[in-house]
Amino acid sequence: MTVQDLDKIKQNALKALESINDLDDLNTFYPTVLGRNGELTLALREMKNLSPEERAVFGQHANTVKKELEEVIENKRKALADAKMREMFEKEAVDVTAPGKVCIPRGRIHPMTQVYREIRDAMIGLGFTTYEGPEIEYEDYCFTKLNLPKGHPARDMQDTFYISDSVVLRTHTTPCEVRSLLSKKPPFRLVIPGRVFRVDEVDASHSPVFMQMEGFVVDKNLSLRDLKGTLIEFVHTVFGNDVNMRMRPSYFPFTEPSAEIDISCTICGGKGCRVCKGTGWIEILGCGIINPHVLENCGVDPNEWSAFAFGIGVDRVTSLKFGISDIRLEYENDARFLRQF
Amino acid sequence: MKLPLRWLKEYVDFDISIDEFKERMIMRGFEIAEVIEEMPNISNVYVGQVKSIAKHENSDKLFVCAVDIGRGENIQIVTNASYLFEGAIVPVALDGATLAGGLVIKNTVLRGVESYGMFCGKSELNIKDHEITGADDRILILNDASMIGKTIQEALGLDSVIFDIEITPNRQDCQSIIGICREAAAALGKKFKEPVIKHIEGSGNAADYASVTILNPTLCPRYVARVIKDIKIEPSPLWMQTKLRSVGLRPINNIVDITNYVLIEYGHPMHAFDLACVDSGAIIVRNAYENEKITTLDGVERETTPEMLLITDPKKPVGLAGIMGGENSGITENTKAVLFESAAFIADNIRRTSRKLGLVSDSAQRFMRGVEPVNAYLALERAVELVHELGAGTVVGEVIDVNYADISQRVIEVDTKRVNRIIGEELSPEYMKALLETINIESTVKGDTLVVNVPHYRVDIESGIESDHDIAEEVARLHGYEKLTPRLMSGRTFSGKLEPHVQAEDNIKNLLAGFGAYEMYNYSFMSPADLEKLMLPKDSRKRQAVRILNPLGEDQSLMRTTLTPGMLNTLAHNIRHKTKHNRFFEVGNIHFDKEDLPEEVKMLGLAFMGDGENFFTLKGVIEALFEFLGITGYRFKAGGSDYLCPGKKAEIFVNGDYIGEMGAVHPLVEKEYEISSAYIAEIEFNKLLKHKAAVKKYKSLPKFPSVERDIAIIVDDSAKCDDVCDIMYSTELDCVIENVTLFDVYKGAGIPEGKKSMAFSYTLRRDDKTLNDKEITEATNKLLMALECKLGAKLRQ
Repeated sequence: MTVQDLDKIKQNALKALESINDLDDLNTFYPTVLGRNGELTLALREMKNLSPEERAVFGQHANTVKKELEEVIENKRKALADAKMREMFEKEAVDVTAPGKVCIPRGRIHPMTQVYREIRDAMIGLGFTTYEGPEIEYEDYCFTKLNLPKGHPARDMQDTFYISDSVVLRTHTTPCEVRSLLSKKPPFRLVIPGRVFRVDEVDASHSPVFMQMEGFVVDKNLSLRDLKGTLIEFVHTVFGNDVNMRMRPSYFPFTEPSAEIDISCTICGGKGCRVCKGTGWIEILGCGIINPHVLENCGVDPNEWSAFAFGIGVDRVTSLKFGISDIRLEYENDARFLRQF
Repeated sequence: MKLPLRWLKEYVDFDISIDEFKERMIMRGFEIAEVIEEMPNISNVYVGQVKSIAKHENSDKLFVCAVDIGRGENIQIVTNASYLFEGAIVPVALDGATLAGGLVIKNTVLRGVESYGMFCGKSELNIKDHEITGADDRILILNDASMIGKTIQEALGLDSVIFDIEITPNRQDCQSIIGICREAAAALGKKFKEPVIKHIEGSGNAADYASVTILNPTLCPRYVARVIKDIKIEPSPLWMQTKLRSVGLRPINNIVDITNYVLIEYGHPMHAFDLACVDSGAIIVRNAYENEKITTLDGVERETTPEMLLITDPKKPVGLAGIMGGENSGITENTKAVLFESAAFIADNIRRTSRKLGLVSDSAQRFMRGVEPVNAYLALERAVELVHELGAGTVVGEVIDVNYADISQRVIEVDTKRVNRIIGEELSPEYMKALLETINIESTVKGDTLVVNVPHYRVDIESGIESDHDIAEEVARLHGYEKLTPRLMSGRTFSGKLEPHVQAEDNIKNLLAGFGAYEMYNYSFMSPADLEKLMLPKDSRKRQAVRILNPLGEDQSLMRTTLTPGMLNTLAHNIRHKTKHNRFFEVGNIHFDKEDLPEEVKMLGLAFMGDGENFFTLKGVIEALFEFLGITGYRFKAGGSDYLCPGKKAEIFVNGDYIGEMGAVHPLVEKEYEISSAYIAEIEFNKLLKHKAAVKKYKSLPKFPSVERDIAIIVDDSAKCDDVCDIMYSTELDCVIENVTLFDVYKGAGIPEGKKSMAFSYTLRRDDKTLNDKEITEATNKLLMALECKLGAKLRQ
């Protein structure tokens, strides 16, 4: 066994490697040279038959050859692995411009609920707590205790579904004021959401069923100024800080003084358009200082306690916020509509 | 309430723009809903005079006119109106003019001759029931040379506007020209001079002609009447006709027009009886007898009931109080003497009668808003003044006034400190007094007290606990809401919060939306037909629906007892609109009829339909919801409502408590609602909350590895998944068994008839050590033994 033999092994191995283009072949090839019984390993084993001088030269050369071969094979292995991965990438590449897939349909919270939450949370931030009452209500709570006795002209304002002489579908969430006054100790601040009903034929702007939210505060010395301040905070939270608010006199039997709140038109910014009928203002809620008769009717001393309330139509605000021109869409549950929010 | 600007100008100068006026009025609580032009939608029409007429060179039927429209140079107009004459004063629509029906006039060439406008007739100008006479289909010939060059609106005196003002129900006093002008004057910063009515002395003795008796003063607190004889029925003067027309009333004759005029001006309805038709001139105000009939002025015979109030004479009814007079006593061209009635009737009674009879007149509408007894008197005085002015008849004797109402001057003492507390400002009593004066409310300051003389017409200002609020409202309104500085509620602070069930509802909705469901809102109503479509058994609780007495229609006459009809309709709507995959949920109330208030139950509804949906996709979402809420110990037991599909429906129990049901919709029901392969669930919302884990507690994670094993067993076909799981969970083992899950069911080759193979996976572990093979085998053998023992299960080899 000579140094020349080693070189020959090397040359042969390098030649063989050149024709190997597959990782598996490489793995098969490796032991034939460098494995336990590989050519080179066997050659090294022969070393013991050489003289010490020859052995030193031979050994050194053998190691060099082994290193060289190992390096070549390792490089080859890397190159082949790389190629294999690239091939896989290429094979499995997707068309990234093709549409995405969703395994479950797109669900959505109803826009009205979204707006309801926004309004509610604005009020929670002002120290209000949620409160609810029944949809089918005593006429007494819905009207009489609210200073709307039978025959009151303002009863015509609220066309009512009757269940019996004394039971109605509530026309507003205001009977909850009666319920809270009868059952809770003042002071308190309540936000009252709920479904209400009016005898209105369905059209683009009317619905016999709609959602109202009411803010109700009972405390000492509440004034119109407090009401105005509270509502400005509220309006800014719900509609944004650049919206203007106008408070103007109005009438509700259960409040005195009463007011209507307008905001600058969210569509035209106050310049006047179809939505605001050219006025630049949109009416969004009614409010007022609770009429002392109401407190008295509910056993709360109007000389000690004062209260204010405001009521807002959630459907209406939803239409305004999202620019929905037909309120019917809000009860049609068309997936194509709902998915837009 | 319609207020013609012309009429307002009779009381005060109008020296601001209409927009400014609108703004000021709305800030005082009077919203002007519409500003109506007297002659709307007509523009660029001027009055001209035909100077010369020549024959058209290319036509026998056309003429070429030179028309002076007051602009120096005559303009040329081609017309076919052969009847036109030189010197005729006519309306001329110029280039770009808009006429009735949106017709736009342009310069044109007619058979080679240029025409720069068009002559107009009444119909083109939309002049209909108006004092201008002339054939409708011909060019309108005017007769006043001073009109030349003016717009048609100016020329005809129709260039003003009418305000349509919304009057809130508390301000019945403003349902009158006088009342609204009083407010408008203040808004204009002007003093409103209260009109003074000239009392007309009558001749002779009224008692010789008529008498009035009120038998029910509760429903008629005051009845004021006056007799006019020597009546000359004729058309009322032009000024009165014009004013009546401007507020939308049709002139009839002088007497009727006077009552209508007073209704508009003073806001008090009156009636005129032909005195000859009132037996012995004796008016008796009383309730109707049983089945008493009266034929009203509109010619309809009405059957009355005893709670209705009638105006009668000793023999018969002559009027339906406050609503409509009787045909038997109405004004005719032969009327010689009338009895003017001006009475105060109670709003509620008029409303009931009007509703019951389905008869709504201007008079009834006005009474329904509320009238007051002093105004009744003033209205009569005004009517008599007008009779005198118009020379419509001779006034007889004195006013017949039967009055049970308190008409003394009302005085209230107002605590100005409290007024300030209500408003939140520091206004002086003197300032408040000055504000009230602007609307002619007189008061005097006594220290902190304002002593207010309440005008008779301000019935909305109460005496009693509301008075401070009433005056506060007036003061705030007149001071200006816009001047109030906003302030956040002072005093103690509050920590606002969502009630836990509200928070839970948010979370549940979010979760379901995350599972791909759209939130829906359906109406609370259902149709009696739904009860049949849902195949509800006769004794079903869902038939105990609350019925609405006055529904919008039969199909919306019941309050829903289940969310199902709404859900199925929603699915049907979406299928019709080609949405292929539908997942919806709703949280809403259902109601069951009960004594007192109905029972209200909040429900969660789920409705799945379309691509890939089946019983288990719906069940999976429900189970995920339970897991999210920390609800354990729930069971799905076969069964449920009849509108669900047999074999594919389950009732849901939590710890033995029924909370709802789910399943495929019965094919027959699906057919009714035009859907297919729908899966729905209805769960009592509050029961979800009831069984929700109050607090979720952390359990330490297992320290030692678990092992997963599968077994396949052969059981009777009727065996349920839960049967196997229950046995496996309850078998006593030396280790913990978890996650027993059915993953395959097989029937067929290799399995005996009436049997099936069920394959379960499960995990075993111990808290104190890693299980060894022996222990695992031992546990599995125990499980198999238990299954064999309790279920006759055999290991599938």
